[in-house]
Amino acid sequence: MMNVLGGSEMALLRGGISAAELRQQVIADNIANVDTPGFKRSEVLFEELLASRLGNQAGAKLELKRTHEKHIPAGKGKGVVRPQLVTDANTMMNNNGNNVDIDREMALLAKNQLRYNAMIQQLNHKISMLRIGIEGR
Amino acid sequence: MRLNDGFEASASALTAQRLRMDVIASNIANAETSRGRYVNGRWEPYARKMVVLEPVRKTFTELLESKLSGRGSRTAGVKAARIVEDSSPPRLVYNPTHPDADENGYVRMPNVDILKEMVDMISATRSYEANVTALNASKAMFTKALEIGRHS
Repeated sequence: MMNVLGGSEMALLRGGISAAELRQQVIADNIANVDTPGFKRSEVLFEELLASRLGNQAGAKLELKRTHEKHIPAGKGKGVVRPQLVTDANTMMNNNGNNVDIDREMALLAKNQLRYNAMIQQLNHKISMLRIGIEGR
Repeated sequence: MRLNDGFEASASALTAQRLRMDVIASNIANAETSRGRYVNGRWEPYARKMVVLEPVRKTFTELLESKLSGRGSRTAGVKAARIVEDSSPPRLVYNPTHPDADENGYVRMPNVDILKEMVDMISATRSYEANVTALNASKAMFTKALEIGRHS
């Protein structure tokens, strides 16, 4: 059966959009706590995990699709890449133990927003292609 | 909803920075107030006030759910934990004709340093602006998400 709506491209875009939303929340939290003594910033790892899953590293490959969960998996991946939250607990930016660099956070915020917009545009393009396919015009 | 958490984090920070501004305004307004409090038959000068900020810890349920689903951050914004008074000694100003002067002619003035307050005020303003930017970014992303699948 052809998987029109739930293809891998859609799943990747969905994962990327959801990671960008999580990152937006984490950056907003970092910026909110820019004056809080002892606060440690967090960040979201997604693109790095996806790149390693997609085979930029030697030996790591996307998992093959299985039609039954008891089939032997091929490839190193464990299915969907999920965003990972890491806290940077070992650095210091200010005298009060806070390590939020406001300039960096604002840059990351802008970058995340552009990336999000790009992914939404990609998704919209995909949907409009589907629409052309369905309506034939 | 994840973007809403971003909204809440930014909104809580806006509230906290506004409170900081209010406290700074109170400090500057009372920079010359020699009668802040009446203690044991004697006027104490106004004491400089400071806002203590701390991250909002999630409740146990929220933390458990975010751990089980493997998403979500540890904290959700910032809050003003309390307002503390600066315990440094008051400024002594020689002014024997002042009604609150002691037997040596010194008046105890608040320990407010205008320069310090101005610097704090700039810091609070800038943090407020940064949070407004973050809030606008969340809003723009939300609006963009509403455009998914719309006819163009």
